[in-house]
Amino acid sequence: MKKIHTAAVNNNDKSFSGQNAYRFCNISIPQTVVLALILIVVWGVIFPMQARVVKVGAYHNSPKMIITESGAVSGIFADIIDQIASEEGWQIEYIKGTWDEGLSRLQSGEIDIMPDMAFTTTRAALYDFHREPVLYSWSQIYAHKGLSITSFQDLDGMRIAVLKGSIQETTLRNMMAGFGFNSQIIPASSFDDAFELVRSDQADVAVTNTYFGNLKARMYNLDDTPVVFEPSTLFFASKKGRNTDLLERIDFHLKEQKSTPLSPYYQTIRLWTSETPKYRLPRWIVLTVIGIILVLILSTVVTFIFKHQLALRTRELRLINHEMELRIVKRTEELAAAMEKAQAADQLKSAFLATMSHELRTPLNSIIGFTGILLQELPGKLNEEQTKQLRIVQTSARHLLALINDVLDVSKIESGQLELNWEHFHLMSMMQKIMNLVKTQADAKNLELRLDVENPQDTIHADQRRLEQVLLNLLSNAIKFTESGSVTISCRKSNEFYLISIQDTGIGIPKEHLRMLFQPFRQIDSGLTRKYEGTGLGLSISRSLMRLMHGEITVESQAGIGSTFTITLPIEGGHT
Amino acid sequence: MKNLILIIEDNADNYYLMRYLLEHRGYKVLGADSGWMGIELAHFNNPDIILLDIQLPGMDGYEIARQLKSDPKLCVIPIVAVTSYAMAHDREQALAAGANGYIEKPINPDTFVDEIEKYILDFGVAHEDSDSR
Repeated sequence: MKKIHTAAVNNNDKSFSGQNAYRFCNISIPQTVVLALILIVVWGVIFPMQARVVKVGAYHNSPKMIITESGAVSGIFADIIDQIASEEGWQIEYIKGTWDEGLSRLQSGEIDIMPDMAFTTTRAALYDFHREPVLYSWSQIYAHKGLSITSFQDLDGMRIAVLKGSIQETTLRNMMAGFGFNSQIIPASSFDDAFELVRSDQADVAVTNTYFGNLKARMYNLDDTPVVFEPSTLFFASKKGRNTDLLERIDFHLKEQKSTPLSPYYQTIRLWTSETPKYRLPRWIVLTVIGIILVLILSTVVTFIFKHQLALRTRELRLINHEMELRIVKRTEELAAAMEKAQAADQLKSAFLATMSHELRTPLNSIIGFTGILLQELPGKLNEEQTKQLRIVQTSARHLLALINDVLDVSKIESGQLELNWEHFHLMSMMQKIMNLVKTQADAKNLELRLDVENPQDTIHADQRRLEQVLLNLLSNAIKFTESGSVTISCRKSNEFYLISIQDTGIGIPKEHLRMLFQPFRQIDSGLTRKYEGTGLGLSISRSLMRLMHGEITVESQAGIGSTFTITLPIEGGHT
Repeated sequence: MKNLILIIEDNADNYYLMRYLLEHRGYKVLGADSGWMGIELAHFNNPDIILLDIQLPGMDGYEIARQLKSDPKLCVIPIVAVTSYAMAHDREQALAAGANGYIEKPINPDTFVDEIEKYILDFGVAHEDSDSR
């Protein structure tokens, strides 16, 4: 194209020069000679630039070479040579005829190149070929519909239509002779003619190249057979020793186009065969794809193995799980049985405690009751000694009763069987009731009892009987351990709590003993135990009862000065 | 006229103790050692108060209380449960069965009669009024 453009510019130069010639028509001869020389030089430049005419033999052999009704030439070879010609600046001129005519024209020099030439050693002696094949082709047998041809042996005795003068004819004749087949070769002027012969039942099978067969067999209602032979490589060919430059350029373009996907070559093949042409993928793509496939396969295998193992593991786990479930069920049953036993034991314990309590109380009722009657001197007067001894019986009996009550309480608290009876009641009246109960005790020791309630109208939510029990215990302790002075019970409110303190001016408690104070059976030192009788369970029970009511007992004490026990109890204890 | 007191109690010593204390203060005392006998005596003697033991052979104290309280004639008589049961719900159960009061054994001989008198005053006023002239 560039060269053509250059030629056009030179043309302009020529016309420009022409104008100059007119202008200077009166000038001297030497100038005319110069002009003529210039013209000659320009012509010389233009002449070789004219497109080279390449004469190409054309014969009808669809889809490789097609001559339409109107005489236009197309097909795979035509398109490829046209494309190369447009690149090279050649002008293609098709000389139409049959295959045989084409070969003789090539021989006589009437055409430059012949397309669709299969390479054989015989032909190589007559013609020149380029190196890169245009097409690979095979001959294939196409059979009449319903005729079962599965191997070459089936061709024995058949009428075979074949293109006259073609390689197939030569090959076939040789093969038939070689195998000793009794087959009849029917020459046809074209492949279409060969197919038509089979369709009109003048032949049994036809031989064509695969390109033609794939394109037309269905159209002629023929079956393709698995009998394939004579692989060939197709080229453009020229007469030996002539136009080798054409072949070199053709070779160059073919090589280039075949190594480029989507090049005009491949577009042409796809257009005429409707088959995806074999394009050789670059090595690295092939390797990459193979690599990817390997990785995929590997990963699939690995996944499969993992899945398999997972399935195994899952099954194992399921088994273990099942076993565990069984064990749990068994264990639960055992526990339920044990629980039942424990509950039965608990009930037994409760029943035992109730019975013991009852059985112990009945004789105590007589002891305490009749001792009381005797001491009241209801049956008759007692002497001093009798009174003294009966008092000892009375005190012992009361102590025994206290022990029974306390032990019963401790066991109830420990087994969680102590149930509280929540109620609202006036704090003040309850305190007064307790004060009355301990009044005799205090009076006997000449102690002052003081009651100091911040707000006498206050009510509290608690178990009244149990709170009374605790306060009574603390108060009698205070009186017991105080020789002179006073015992004060006071009540204040602090946020959601009542703070009830019992303060005495008694002997106090040494610091080292404070910690153990609320432990069961911990009355401080044996000397005291003798002097101050008690079960040793009172404070332990009191603290437990307070905790059950969501409260607490704390103590502050100084030996020799006195002790203060403080109860902290929620105002609405039962609702927390 | 001093009040008539019915004691339902199977333990002879306990009965003797209570009876001694009450009679010493001038009360008339009737004794029954079983439920059915107690109810019978209540019907015929119309006591001012019934002291009721809970653990009795055959019909127990709760059942006796229920029967007494379901009788239109006897239901007005106050009942005081006197029992050595000391578990959590003894008091509640006795009161629920119809007892008007509860005294725990062993009784305090110094205060026992005073307590009974208080119950008679608290629960037996109407009955006493209608019975005395």
